[in-house]
Amino acid sequence: MDRFNFINPFGVRYQPDTVAGDFYTNNFAKKAESNTIILNLGPQHPSTHGVLRVIVELDGEYVLRAEPVLGYLHRMHEKMGEVKTPWQFLPNMGRVDYLHPIAWNWVHVGAVERLAGITVPERAEYLRVISCELNRVASHLMWWGAFVMDLGGVTPILYAFEEREKINDILQIVSGSRLTISYFRFGGVSADADDRFLRLTAEFVPYLRQRLKMYQALVTDNIILRRRLEKVGPIGVDMCQRYGATGPVLRAAGLNRDTRRDIPYSVYPKFDFNIPTGPVDDCLGRYLVRLAEIEASLSIIEQALESLPAGPILPPKAPKPTFKLPAGESYFAVEGARGQIGLHLISDGGKTPYRVKLRAPGFSNLSLFAEAARGTLLADAIAILGSLDLVIPEVDR
Amino acid sequence: MIKAIIDNIKGLYSLLVGLSITGRFFFSPQKTVHYPRQVVDPEILSSYRGPLELVPGEKDPAQSRCICCQMCVRACPGHCLTVTKEAGSKAPAAYLYDFTYCCLCAACVESCPTGAIRFSHKVYLVADSRQALHLDLLADLKVRASAAPASESAAAEQTGT
Amino acid sequence: MALSLVNFVVVIAAVLLIIGLMVVNAVIMVYAERKTAGFIQRRPGPYEVGPWGTVQAICDSMKLLGKQIFIPGNVDWILFFAAPVLAFFPVLLLFLPIPFGPYLTALKVDEGILLILAFAGFGVISNILAGWASNNKYGLLGAARAVSQSVAYEIPMIMALLGVIFLTGSMNLTQIVERQGAWPWQWNLAVQPLAFFIYVVSMVGETNRAPFDLPEAESELTAGFHTEYSGMGFALFFLSEYANMLLVCCVCATFFLGGWRGPFLDGFWWTFIKAYALMMFIVWIRWTFPRVRFDQLLNINWKWLLPLSILNLWITAVILKFVD
Repeated sequence: MDRFNFINPFGVRYQPDTVAGDFYTNNFAKKAESNTIILNLGPQHPSTHGVLRVIVELDGEYVLRAEPVLGYLHRMHEKMGEVKTPWQFLPNMGRVDYLHPIAWNWVHVGAVERLAGITVPERAEYLRVISCELNRVASHLMWWGAFVMDLGGVTPILYAFEEREKINDILQIVSGSRLTISYFRFGGVSADADDRFLRLTAEFVPYLRQRLKMYQALVTDNIILRRRLEKVGPIGVDMCQRYGATGPVLRAAGLNRDTRRDIPYSVYPKFDFNIPTGPVDDCLGRYLVRLAEIEASLSIIEQALESLPAGPILPPKAPKPTFKLPAGESYFAVEGARGQIGLHLISDGGKTPYRVKLRAPGFSNLSLFAEAARGTLLADAIAILGSLDLVIPEVDR
Repeated sequence: MIKAIIDNIKGLYSLLVGLSITGRFFFSPQKTVHYPRQVVDPEILSSYRGPLELVPGEKDPAQSRCICCQMCVRACPGHCLTVTKEAGSKAPAAYLYDFTYCCLCAACVESCPTGAIRFSHKVYLVADSRQALHLDLLADLKVRASAAPASESAAAEQTGT
Repeated sequence: MALSLVNFVVVIAAVLLIIGLMVVNAVIMVYAERKTAGFIQRRPGPYEVGPWGTVQAICDSMKLLGKQIFIPGNVDWILFFAAPVLAFFPVLLLFLPIPFGPYLTALKVDEGILLILAFAGFGVISNILAGWASNNKYGLLGAARAVSQSVAYEIPMIMALLGVIFLTGSMNLTQIVERQGAWPWQWNLAVQPLAFFIYVVSMVGETNRAPFDLPEAESELTAGFHTEYSGMGFALFFLSEYANMLLVCCVCATFFLGGWRGPFLDGFWWTFIKAYALMMFIVWIRWTFPRVRFDQLLNINWKWLLPLSILNLWITAVILKFVD
């Protein structure tokens, strides 16, 4: 549009080249074909849920290429792990993924416990399972609402928030926080579950089952939503393996992999739970897998509540905030709401770890977006982006 | 072709189901808590973590249990605590707390050997400047002690203030 | 029809009244829509400004009036300002032939519906100008969508209306109302249910409302063709969107729901009750369904609505032939 180089009546002279792309856009534009539009989705865009930026090359409505640009929410969590003691790093974990903070709590606590050889009391393990699964349900509910909002339905997210608020209330009883929860401690958990926690959790499970039926009727069975998701953005097992995608994205592709069962940790082997895999590998498959996972998590919570043992929640010699890690390295992985979360901890015996590496599932899941979105419509690309369930702080770390 | 038509008619029915659900919610009671006129259930707030406060001493409620061991200062990930010692005694001369840096992680509370600090339940804390969030916990303790002399139970009332 | 001086004065007065109606309609609809959305989502909606938030919409419009009109760099500023005005003024003309009541018709013309359908096309021009002139890629995509959507949905809309015109034998809106009775089974809805259904669907499509709100699809195009508009520019688009809604609902009430005729007492109130009931239905739909995709939107139109409307027209013609 270089023909509009004139003085407008408001006295401001505009130069045609004043709005030029930054490095990423210019670099992306080098490979652009003629007669295409380079469109910046984000960093501020309603459907990127945070500060993700995706550059897309559009031919009309069709996405020819897409490229995610990361780093707008890079907060140096890995570096902070090196300059803080393990205890001081603990509250950071709630900030990495604000939707499923307890899984990140767990991965850090688990890595330290594995390195320092701390055994966890059984009651603490059960409480960990209950709180982690509750949090997973909250995360999936939030995703469900946000995903339907990406598709244009604004109301369901507010219904999902009702349930999410209940979960927040329950988790607040033990952890004191509603969002960036830091509940786990090395060797156990910070607070014991009181009667109110157990009662509210037991009441919540049948309540949510009831509400899931409403979700099914309102959204899942809706023909518009079905047509929006069916056969959109197929992500096969092959693509998942090439990019390292895990979690519901991989399970929807048909590969039944779940860290809770394959690399067992804590007391998960004691529970009998269903690991849903998708019949189809498109957006609808990922949608259904996540809804089925809510049910699976509810059944785990029910079983854990039934068999919750009495006992202490911290081992006799639980580490104090000032404790030192022994030299060595350990890796711990848990199943987060978005996939396999891993933490690799290397200690040289000093006050702070030598290196902390966080394995965020969102990062791997996002990296396949460029390939999955190629050749789709813009609206489908948004649906694929939503179906990956991205949490940008986790992607950027 | 005929199957597609039947599918679409079934789809129209699913739209009606959706409309009936939102229509029912239209007439069902609201979930919102109108804040200034209503407040959230105090039972929920009883586990809320507000800014730190000092636990009143057993003998003198205006006196802190703090022995200035600096454990909390060392444990804090955000470096938001400053504790200075009174010359010649174990009692703190100043217990300064920068709430703007606090991440409410409870490292200080759990590291304290005497149980001198705890979380308050001040949900409705508002400040119009950063300076207002630099709290002097000793002064706060004295204020609370004079407001509710010799009663620990007054802490429960903190929730609403 | 010769445009005499009396007619001219009546039309000018009507235009002024219609401007008032548009503003009042927008204020009422903004409030009603936000309240409906709130109740559906189990929250109060606007609540603080005035009793039950009734003054909220007026305050919002005051805010829009007071806001700076921001002009982005490199825009074609003549077209940029022309677009919202173009969106607003044709709507004034569109209300003229609508018979709100037995005597409440500004312009009694024989080809009333033709006038409405002809001028309704102006809305698309304003959309494409807005999208093109604001030098924004989201705006451009929104404009492109707006054009193909509006053009597509006008056709089944006209086809559906033609069924009623066949029945009545007139394009005069007043005559169409007079041919219908007071009770629901005497309305055209009873004899033309398929046409009514087609019209309602294409009415939602024509006014770019959810689930067919693709030109301004928020999660894809941020705000579509009015991304760059602020202050009064945005307010005019907003005003004309709600005015367009009222217009298509009034046409629907006139054609299918008996217009001003209703049980017990005929009068302009029946037109408004019917039109606003339809508008609340559109609002209800918006807060329930997800958005369709663009190719699906056009598929619904070309593969379903158009054949159905042709079928409807054909059946109507055949039956009329045999009945006569």
